[in-house]
Amino acid sequence: MGERGRGGCCPPMDLMRSEPMQLVQLILPVESAHLAVSYLGDLGLIQIKDLNAEKSPFQRTYAIQIKRCGEMSRKLRFFRDQMSKAGLAPTTRSLPQDVLNLDDLEVKLGDLDAELVEINANGEKLQRSYNELMEYKLVLQKAGEFFNSALSSAEARQREYASHQSGEESLETPLLSELETANDLSKHVKLGFIAGLVTREKSMAFERILFRATRGNVFLKQAVVDEPVIDPVSGEKVEKNVFVVFFSGERAKNKILKICEAFGANRYSFSEDVSKKTQMITEVSGRLSELKSTIDAGAVHRGNLLQTIGEQFEQWNLLVRKEKAIYHTLNMLSIDVTKKCLVAEGWSPVFATKQIQEALHRATHDSKSQVDAIFQVLYTREMPPTYFRTNKFNSAFQEIVDAYGVAKYQEANPGVFTIVTFPFLFAVMFGDWGHGICLLLATLYFIVREKKLSSQKLGDIMEMTFGGRYVIMLMAIFSIYTGFIYNEFFSVPFELFASSAYACRDPSCRDSTTVGLIKVRDTYPFGVDPAWHGTRSELPFLNSLKMKMSILLGVAQMNLGIIMSFFNALFFKNSLNVWFQFIPQIIFLNSLFGYLSVLIIIKWCTGSQADLYHVMIYMFLSPTDELGENQLFPGQKTAQLVLLLLALVSVPWMLLPKPFLLKLQHSRQQGDSYAPLPDAEESLRSAANHDSHSHEEFEFSEVFVHQLIHTIEFVLGAVSNTASYLRLWALSLAHSELSVVFYEKVLLLAWGYNNVVILIVGIIVFICATVGVLLVMETLSAFLHALRLHWVEFQNKFYEGDGYKFYPFSLALLDHEEE
Amino acid sequence: MGFLVTTLIFLVVGIIASLCTRICCNRGPSANLLHLTLIITATVCCWMMWAIVYLSQMKPLIVPILNESE
Repeated sequence: MGERGRGGCCPPMDLMRSEPMQLVQLILPVESAHLAVSYLGDLGLIQIKDLNAEKSPFQRTYAIQIKRCGEMSRKLRFFRDQMSKAGLAPTTRSLPQDVLNLDDLEVKLGDLDAELVEINANGEKLQRSYNELMEYKLVLQKAGEFFNSALSSAEARQREYASHQSGEESLETPLLSELETANDLSKHVKLGFIAGLVTREKSMAFERILFRATRGNVFLKQAVVDEPVIDPVSGEKVEKNVFVVFFSGERAKNKILKICEAFGANRYSFSEDVSKKTQMITEVSGRLSELKSTIDAGAVHRGNLLQTIGEQFEQWNLLVRKEKAIYHTLNMLSIDVTKKCLVAEGWSPVFATKQIQEALHRATHDSKSQVDAIFQVLYTREMPPTYFRTNKFNSAFQEIVDAYGVAKYQEANPGVFTIVTFPFLFAVMFGDWGHGICLLLATLYFIVREKKLSSQKLGDIMEMTFGGRYVIMLMAIFSIYTGFIYNEFFSVPFELFASSAYACRDPSCRDSTTVGLIKVRDTYPFGVDPAWHGTRSELPFLNSLKMKMSILLGVAQMNLGIIMSFFNALFFKNSLNVWFQFIPQIIFLNSLFGYLSVLIIIKWCTGSQADLYHVMIYMFLSPTDELGENQLFPGQKTAQLVLLLLALVSVPWMLLPKPFLLKLQHSRQQGDSYAPLPDAEESLRSAANHDSHSHEEFEFSEVFVHQLIHTIEFVLGAVSNTASYLRLWALSLAHSELSVVFYEKVLLLAWGYNNVVILIVGIIVFICATVGVLLVMETLSAFLHALRLHWVEFQNKFYEGDGYKFYPFSLALLDHEEE
Repeated sequence: MGFLVTTLIFLVVGIIASLCTRICCNRGPSANLLHLTLIITATVCCWMMWAIVYLSQMKPLIVPILNESE
């Protein structure tokens, strides 16, 4: 709990300031520690500090359990891989089975793992032998054809030579004798052969290398296999050729064997005998069919196993993740020397005290421990984490604020006003009730199907849109409102509330295009008069209106920001900030830009023709001059002089007194002889990272420079921030102009042709352009600029945003987390 | 209808909206204060926007000048 006083100035408001937090210490007996942490995790309201930060992961108490959990999640991942390979998906949210013990689950997972691995290995072996047999069969078939054809042609030639053998004494004689000897097969030169399969891509290279290595003394015959064959080694289908290599001699054989190995060509033994060949073929076919049935049976068994795993997979996965989280948390507790109890320290909201105590009590009871857990609150000067209790509606707005910076502990939360002003400023830039209705319909779809969509897994962009559905809904509702005010329905105005205030000067309407209409009735009661649309003076009028509106809205929001800083100062009982920061800031901003806003309103109310630029600029340049026709109210000159003086005085008022007074305060503090001794436990813990401002050192120069920077930032920022609000005008102009262009140049143009086809094409183009440019791009653009206006112009008046978020240990969050 | 009358209408609508929220979602004083703040902010924003547009049209310095084609 911080030592700062709590403000009693205003009644408490939800979401305005973060929940009061306290540092608690829990002393848990070892036997109930696991259960206690589990129940605290279910509660999700305590952020446990890591007391063993210096220890490595292996030195911690429960390192072994974490390793076991890691092993189990590895097995579960393996199962998931196998299931996805087999095309099975784990059933989500399966029937609740009995709650399993972690040890039982470990044993079960181990068994299943071993079984699955064994099935996989066997399956692979069988598949491999199947493929080899397939190849062997091919070799038998194709190579058999070689030998058959060779044998038949050899027989034919032998008969031929036999008929010519008588009386040929020519050069062919030596050849004949060679042929005879080759046919005799009783000479010392014996031809051997090797048969096998080689991949088609490598077959050319194979042939070439064989030729070169054996110096052309081999004969290679190849035959193409028509369909791709599954290679037993790699398991993939490749195109192969059957080859038979004839060679003579031992050395040639060795070379050929080595080359076959190098090319990954599988060799199969083969006999020349025709009868043996047919026998082999029938044998191989029989074995192939046997293997096929075995493999199929194995696949069915595997499928069943994976099915049973799939039914319980999610539940096991969740259990393992929960246990891992619990053990990680247990590792953060420091263990007492006697090893009898664990000490936990953490931040928790004050309102959760009862719930935590009750959870601890339940854990003691359930684990049948003799000793109760001890719960005590510690006092510390550390800054606690920031915790806002948000519901599904305002969590999106709080995230928008947190994206810029998490609020410091208990400072005013801009999120409260952001809920309304952010959609409102978006709508000022988006104003068209037709587009607003489209946006509303789109977001209502998300809201109506909220429950279903929140449990599904959506893509990134869909996820963001779904998360911000309430933001977009409010944006759409405000857009419909500002659409009515700007009187734009897909850029078309309507006379919804009364008839237009403008009419021709005379019945013939001669002057309507030169001098224009005149105002004959009361002002159009709600919004911009529909007579303006499409006229030549529409833009000068609307520009003037929207620029002045931007200034007025901007000054209002900035004043709200400064008032928030006042409430902060009241809450933290910082009267220095009230007198020497809040008051001069308000005076400065309002004497310049508040005065400008007043002038705008007076000019509108009186219809004066005064030039406000001139008034403002000459207020600074020559304040004592006569105003002449720029006089908007009597006594304006004196009023301006007074305001100018106030503005000039407020600058040193902001800059100078505060550093000196802080120095005075600090020296008074040092002078106090009684100061509380730091708590013994606290000094041990003072090495913690989140240290508040140290009260020991006070560098005057640092404080003075800080105040100088703050003052300059405010003074210059007053001008630049006010001008920055003109983006409200700019974007609203862009939106309405785009809308007009799409309507007039696409839809009306298509209508003018009186052709159905062109009309349909025109409508389609109009819809695509509206959705793509106006509904998507403009929405994002206006969203971004409204965000910037909040983050910079509104929040830099009061927001510090250097806190850290409260991340409780919650098992429920694991459900939504990805691994 | 006049500036003041419509301003009163906005005020009444705001009061009715805050009463409705108090009746439907009465969840304790701090939550009620938050709802009230939001309703007041929304009413003020909407009223400001309407008032700005209305005031600027009360005594206009320029008038609509039609295009030739119309």
